[in-house]
Amino acid sequence: MPKLLRNEERELILSFLDWRFGIKREHFTDYDIYAFSRQAFLFRAQGENFTFPKGHFLRCGLPFMRDVAGHLKPTTCFIQKFGDLAHKNIITLGKEELIELCEKGELALDKNSKDIEGPGYVITKLDGHVLGVNLLIENRLLCRFPKALKETIKRLKKSQ
Amino acid sequence: MADFLAFLEELRELIPNFDELLSHLKRPLPTYFRINTLKISIKRAKETLRSEGVEFGPTKIPEILRIERFDAQRPLLSYYLGYIYPQALSSALPVLALLPKENERVLDLCAAPGGKTTFISQLMNDKGLLVANDRKKGRITSLLSNVKRLGITNTVVTIGRGEHLDLPYRFHKILVDAPCSGQGKYRFDERHGTIKYMKRGKTNLSAIQKALIKKGFDLLLPGGTLVYSTCTLDPEENEGVIQHLIEKRGAKVLDFSIPIEGCPGITEFRGKRYDEGVRFCKRFYPHKIDSVGFFIAKIVKE
Repeated sequence: MPKLLRNEERELILSFLDWRFGIKREHFTDYDIYAFSRQAFLFRAQGENFTFPKGHFLRCGLPFMRDVAGHLKPTTCFIQKFGDLAHKNIITLGKEELIELCEKGELALDKNSKDIEGPGYVITKLDGHVLGVNLLIENRLLCRFPKALKETIKRLKKSQ
Repeated sequence: MADFLAFLEELRELIPNFDELLSHLKRPLPTYFRINTLKISIKRAKETLRSEGVEFGPTKIPEILRIERFDAQRPLLSYYLGYIYPQALSSALPVLALLPKENERVLDLCAAPGGKTTFISQLMNDKGLLVANDRKKGRITSLLSNVKRLGITNTVVTIGRGEHLDLPYRFHKILVDAPCSGQGKYRFDERHGTIKYMKRGKTNLSAIQKALIKKGFDLLLPGGTLVYSTCTLDPEENEGVIQHLIEKRGAKVLDFSIPIEGCPGITEFRGKRYDEGVRFCKRFYPHKIDSVGFFIAKIVKE
């Protein structure tokens, strides 16, 4: 069964989102965060006496955050929903760059943006649409899109 | 095919423009996309779809577009970003009849693959509680994936036989979109002399439907409403099930209004008379709505 995160665990996640992407914790006032199946889930708050249905329970809310090699990584579905609230560590790519990122697994970046604050996850956009997060190390962007999204983007090449 | 045609003949006098139905069943059904307003505005979604080469027209439901042309081979980012949900027009109607609102407690008893669940959450503005249940593990995978893709946070997904579901709370609104014979989806395949999308098997659907609707009714709060729907034309799976609920639970059938007009429920079939209230149920025939045929009943627990 999902376990409601303690205040300090919740704060750890929300302060990471604020620090890395500038997504303010106030946006999550109406949500609870649960740990379940080695992931954090964002679930619309239901009030103090809420209990999950025992015996039938499978999942609650939206997959939110994972621990990847000791670092927090926002899930693609979370960032696609809330990524527009971010105002830093955002990279906008053109379609060709995006296809190259997905085909080669990485992309060399020659631009130094003032909105990028060192290595770590960056939100990746195309034409104003938030696609997900990828990992920026030095001047290389490493593809961290889920397989289905990666394959979709690769197929954009054929339909150009 | 002969069996289905014989069955349709029994409904000849009850279905308006019956011959039109027969010719409609020879054509493929149009595609519809529902825009997920939890992630994108209708205006921006339309712009995005146009930029992806999709041609579409309006329907009477602002969130739903009738797709005129798109290249099925071309990947649609709009789909992967959760902006759209391909859904038959009529499949959205039970949700409009249910009228879910923000901060209510809603149950979708037979939820997979999630078209109606995600539309319910959309109308709830992703607030309140939505419990989405299904019994089939394979189908639940699609439900989980769609809830995630559309960015929904107010849903608890449960697995179990709907008729045996044990939940610690009662609900303001419940949707029972019951498993059915699916006659509303049937299309004539004249080349092979068969029917496409025909379900096989000898499951006693009517018994399952009756058990599901009773369970749904029992899980309602006093004053709560239940919508029962199927995508079949068979009165025994539709009005017959509502009649059973009226007899067993004293349920009251409500009249309701949605943007697409339906035909009234049938009050007599194969010599069996149904309660007069059953006329408030609505039948949506494929040729009248250019989509899958549907049956919808709205019930209140007084």
